[in-house]
Amino acid sequence: MHKVWAIIRREFVERVRTRWFWVSAILGPVLFAGIIVYQIVQSLGGGVRNITVVDGGTLGYGKKVVEALGASKTIRANAVNLVPGVLDSLKRSVEAKQLNGFLILDDSLPSDGKAEYRASNLSLQIIDELQRTLNRVVEKVRLEGKGVNPTVVDWAQALRVTLAQKKIARGEITTENAGQSFALAYVMAILLFMAILLYGVNVMSSVLEEKTTRIIEVLVSSLRPFQLMLGKVAGAGAVSFFQFVIWGVSARLLVALRVPIARLLGADPASAMDITLPHIPFATVAVFMAFFLGGFLLYSAMFAAVGAMSSNEQEARQAQQPVTYLLMISYLSIIGLTNDPASTFARTLSMVPFTSPIATPVRWTAGSMGMGELAVSLAMLLIGIVAITWVASRIYRVGILMTGKRPTMKELVRWVRA
Amino acid sequence: MSDPVVVDHVTKRFAGHTAVDSLSLTVPSGIIYGLLGPNGAGKTTTIRMLMDIYEPDEGSVRVLGTSAGGRAHSERIGYLPEERGLYPKMRVLDVLVFLAEAKGVPRRSARAKALDWLDRLGLGDWRLRKVSELSKGMQQKVQFISTVLHDPDLVILDEPFSGLDPVNSQVLQDTIVDYRRRGKTVLFSTHIMEHAEKLCDRLCIIARGRKLIDDSLTEVKRTHGGKHVIVVFDGSQGGAQQLFGDRRLVAKVQDFGQQAELELADGADPQEILRGLVNSGARLSRFELASPSLHKIFVDLVGPEAATAAAVPVGATDKVSSHA
Repeated sequence: MHKVWAIIRREFVERVRTRWFWVSAILGPVLFAGIIVYQIVQSLGGGVRNITVVDGGTLGYGKKVVEALGASKTIRANAVNLVPGVLDSLKRSVEAKQLNGFLILDDSLPSDGKAEYRASNLSLQIIDELQRTLNRVVEKVRLEGKGVNPTVVDWAQALRVTLAQKKIARGEITTENAGQSFALAYVMAILLFMAILLYGVNVMSSVLEEKTTRIIEVLVSSLRPFQLMLGKVAGAGAVSFFQFVIWGVSARLLVALRVPIARLLGADPASAMDITLPHIPFATVAVFMAFFLGGFLLYSAMFAAVGAMSSNEQEARQAQQPVTYLLMISYLSIIGLTNDPASTFARTLSMVPFTSPIATPVRWTAGSMGMGELAVSLAMLLIGIVAITWVASRIYRVGILMTGKRPTMKELVRWVRA
Repeated sequence: MSDPVVVDHVTKRFAGHTAVDSLSLTVPSGIIYGLLGPNGAGKTTTIRMLMDIYEPDEGSVRVLGTSAGGRAHSERIGYLPEERGLYPKMRVLDVLVFLAEAKGVPRRSARAKALDWLDRLGLGDWRLRKVSELSKGMQQKVQFISTVLHDPDLVILDEPFSGLDPVNSQVLQDTIVDYRRRGKTVLFSTHIMEHAEKLCDRLCIIARGRKLIDDSLTEVKRTHGGKHVIVVFDGSQGGAQQLFGDRRLVAKVQDFGQQAELELADGADPQEILRGLVNSGARLSRFELASPSLHKIFVDLVGPEAATAAAVPVGATDKVSSHA
């Protein structure tokens, strides 16, 4: 055990010492800090769009729209009449970034409900707000045209319905909103994919290094090949956990410090309070960790075998492709998984050990998986790990001492059977 | 104390050929034992079986008194494989400590011993440098330190002299001799007979996986050599070639140009050869009655063609991929 510990320690220390580890360790929090700062700056007024309303008619609808937009926090508008050349000059202003866009309408607005918005950037948020405002203006004009008292119209339009979104998951109703849980599942899937791929490939290159430098023979004379493989996988796994811890802690820290950061940027501290981490229940964290661990063990065993059967980087890159494709299947299915986590497709992916490390956490987060299914998925993964590790360690055992040509499929089968 | 290494009728086959064929040998405690043979004779395979890297197909191996192989005793064995390497990106001291730890040596004592050895071999200032920054000769020293750092009772060296520069070669020879002086056991393989002749107490010559001789060096020389004469010329060889061709006097000759090793025919008198050489006008700087060199015995036993032929065993075209 002391010997395996030496392998784990070396693997961990040497990796953590590399520049790459720290680059990616720092990149995560920097990215996260960027998001927070962006949100604060956004609330500071950096997000206000200037638009011009071009009225081609004489009934003053343009003025009415500008008036209605007066209450908007994100749009600042002014009205002009459609005179010859005005569209060209506005176009130039947009191109010169002095104006975000312009809205064109005329007297037919309340009758045929048509208007046009031209901008360099058609952001959903702005379009949405313009559309709502135009609808309100048209509604008001049409009602007043039929003789309805304007105060009554104002009174009717003053109320906005807020739709509370509640999710039914595993027999419980949560207040989590749909966008958040979708984003959470998506981010999780990508994190899992990246981490498994990155650290799995690390295991592979580490095996290959020992093979090409020939240090392997001394090691195998001291430890059993299986112990060696185990130490490597555990060491690389510990590094990736360490990476996650750094990211998690720094994200928490940044969120905790969001108010001082806002003050530093001269923004209203209250606006920063809106920035929160999505609430992640403990069970979700546990599922994420369990399946990351399982997926990592499964894939790094395969990557270790790939490293052992190759003699150089180039061969390894080729030989790793089938393993990478296996992982890609689940990555490419993320959209399908998040869209309909209860489909037969999603169910199947969460039962197959090669795809379940990514599919199961996604389905769990989306709330479409019960305890029973989770247990089956986990059991299947465990069986997969045991079987794959057995096969991989037999390939590893023979492969690490082998140089020269790459083994054929037939030879691999012989190694496993031997 | 029981014999540190006992190999009992061990056979190892790889797809297509037999690398080691029912080989038995015993290494007594406290001596330097040479495992000699041409390339492909099965030396490395035998050593790998001692170190538990390969499992024998038949027969058994006993190391340091138990039926377990070398791996179980890794903290008492210093093993230097033929194919050597270090982690190029690791620091020198870290590599040494790691390799010792992997053998089961506690970290603290491994560190102290590594520092001690680095100082002894003049690498003290390099301990925090990366291995890749060292010269090849320095790397060889580090490799060597990693083999003996833990003061093993049994040292197993596979072709230890190959690729060594003269300075390191001397360091290695001194250490091997020092180990025997301290009562430790050294087993090393080589195909260079000069090293074996200088160092070995006992030797085993194998070819094509089979044992040809297993005896003490003096006994091997006594039983396997006839009378030998070494002649070193000083310029002119005169009529030496004609004399060497006289089968009544000389049974075999190995002519190196300025030097020749003669095996005398039965009943031939060396004095007659000396007289003949002087009379033929040859100028001599040395004329010596000698026991045959190990090299000569080796070539006689293995056959000059074996040294090359055995390197490519019949039916071993897929040897590389079949060490199952």
